[in-house]
Amino acid sequence: MEEVESKPVKRRTKDLNLWEKIYIPEIIKGLALTFRNIFRPKFTMEYPEVKFEPPASYRGRPVLVQEESGVERCVACGLCSRVCPALAIEVQAAETELEKERFPEKFEINMIRCIFCGFCEEVCPEEAIVMSKDYELAFFNREDALYGKDKLLVPASELEDRIKFLRQYK
Amino acid sequence: MDQLEKEVQPKILEALLNAKTDYTFDDALENEMVLNMGPQHPATHGVLRLLLRLDGERIVACVPDLGYLHRGYEKMAENMTYYEYIPHTDRLDYISPMANNVAWVLAVEKLAGIEAPKRAQYIRMMIAELARIASHLVAIGSFAMDVGALTIFLWTLREREKILDIWDILCGARFTNSYTRIGGVANDAQPEALEKVKWFVDQFEPNLEECEKLVNKNRIFIERVDGVGAISKEDAISFGFSGPNLRACGVNFDLRRNAPYLCYDEIDFEVPTYSEGDCLARYFLRLDECRESAKIVLQILNKMPQGEVIANQPKKVLPHKDEVYTKMEELIHDFMIVNFGINPPEGEIYHAIEGTKGELGFYLVSKGEGRPWKCKIRSPSFNNLQVLPKLVVGQMISDVVAIIGSIDPIMGEADK
Ligand code: SF4
Ligand code: SF4
Repeated sequence: MEEVESKPVKRRTKDLNLWEKIYIPEIIKGLALTFRNIFRPKFTMEYPEVKFEPPASYRGRPVLVQEESGVERCVACGLCSRVCPALAIEVQAAETELEKERFPEKFEINMIRCIFCGFCEEVCPEEAIVMSKDYELAFFNREDALYGKDKLLVPASELEDRIKFLRQYK
Repeated sequence: MDQLEKEVQPKILEALLNAKTDYTFDDALENEMVLNMGPQHPATHGVLRLLLRLDGERIVACVPDLGYLHRGYEKMAENMTYYEYIPHTDRLDYISPMANNVAWVLAVEKLAGIEAPKRAQYIRMMIAELARIASHLVAIGSFAMDVGALTIFLWTLREREKILDIWDILCGARFTNSYTRIGGVANDAQPEALEKVKWFVDQFEPNLEECEKLVNKNRIFIERVDGVGAISKEDAISFGFSGPNLRACGVNFDLRRNAPYLCYDEIDFEVPTYSEGDCLARYFLRLDECRESAKIVLQILNKMPQGEVIANQPKKVLPHKDEVYTKMEELIHDFMIVNFGINPPEGEIYHAIEGTKGELGFYLVSKGEGRPWKCKIRSPSFNNLQVLPKLVVGQMISDVVAIIGSIDPIMGEADK
């Protein structure tokens, strides 16, 4: 560990020259700098008026993919509910006549618990649960935050962006 | 609860009021006073509580009281698989979640004997350095704000916002990233994301200069922090200081160079050091480190190889999604890893990285099961805070705020 001297460019009290010690010029310089920023393009977004358009990689609320036939892809294997670090998912399986044999009789995600980690999507073997772009989640009471199948099912055509992203990068 | 109060509180008081106290209530001007600062004090950066013994405005003794944000993360790790714990690391140092993600997966990989592909390692380095910039920007801004310069805070946060936008494209979340995976990273860095990183690094220098111009020659700012909260090299080492705080005391120690992990040995960078060890040195050092990190990111972008971003070790690393959909073998591995974990061999390891606040290490003990038998987090903020009583004694009460700001503790990490 060798000794390193402080760099001289950095100013401490003793390094200040008279001009800087008078302080007023520095204040004026600072103010000029601040005022110049008024003319810069605005950096913030006026949110409720201007909506944020998320990229395909965005992890919004998890949704269930619905095929064109109106059936969900999920086969109720329960893997997503096993991996969920926030224990937000509840799946109850039942048998069906369809080719996939099993389907979720009940599929519930507690949106208060969900931390939008995307693990459910990552482990699902059927591409049945994916993260949507929906980020506006607010509830008046806790019951409303329990999203059942009625709210979770989203047609596959609306999720093309995300599914394409998953196939390309995951 | 009563029992706890009986046991804990007198101890704190005892540490505060030692034998030398003249604690009388006769004359308000003659005696000392005990002041409680926090846990909800706006300038203590989170829920840090300080008990100060004051003689007028001078501090005679100080006892930090930690634990208000304790969520039991070390214990929680014992009840979940290594994979499931990744999102929880986001919530340790919540100003730089990416660096925590990297630290955790590196520790697990060391335990399980996995090596991530080259590209994944480069991506990890990139995100760790960007996280460092983001974290230092917050530290600089809030430190300046603590001593009264508000504008610089808004400007540094504006710069940080650009990094959060990069996270948004890269991993889909701005704040709780959970981006790294055991054996690699969650998804390959998209060209848009890399472009945005390049853009950020290019425009960063002039913007940072603009921020620092506001206060660097400002007499009030400099006199306010020059020589305040100084600590000697020897003390810093014996107290377990690490990271920027340690380097500001003249110790040239950086894990990236002294114990290289990832591919840091292929990168050419300097480790800025200052010798004064006071608040001003810590502030300057963070500025220098931001610049250095920007240079590192630029090199990483130029050197980043193409290829896989997740290791091909079917029993330990989650397979690609398209393989899970189509192949039976991969499907079974997917189920096994998620249900039972990756079962690293019995043993214990410690792995530390140069986190944004200092040495961020995970000590893991495995009994061959899917989850750790014990997980200990060596969090830099916690160790850095130990020095606080030493730094503030003899200073004015308004300096306490500046000193806390310059140490840059994150309570999520200190309290775990
Ligand atoms: S969503 Fe996927 S992981 Fe979850 S139960 Fe259905 S098929 Fe299994
Ligand atoms: S995104 Fe994460 S927390 Fe939310 S339901 Fe899926 S696994 Fe659970």
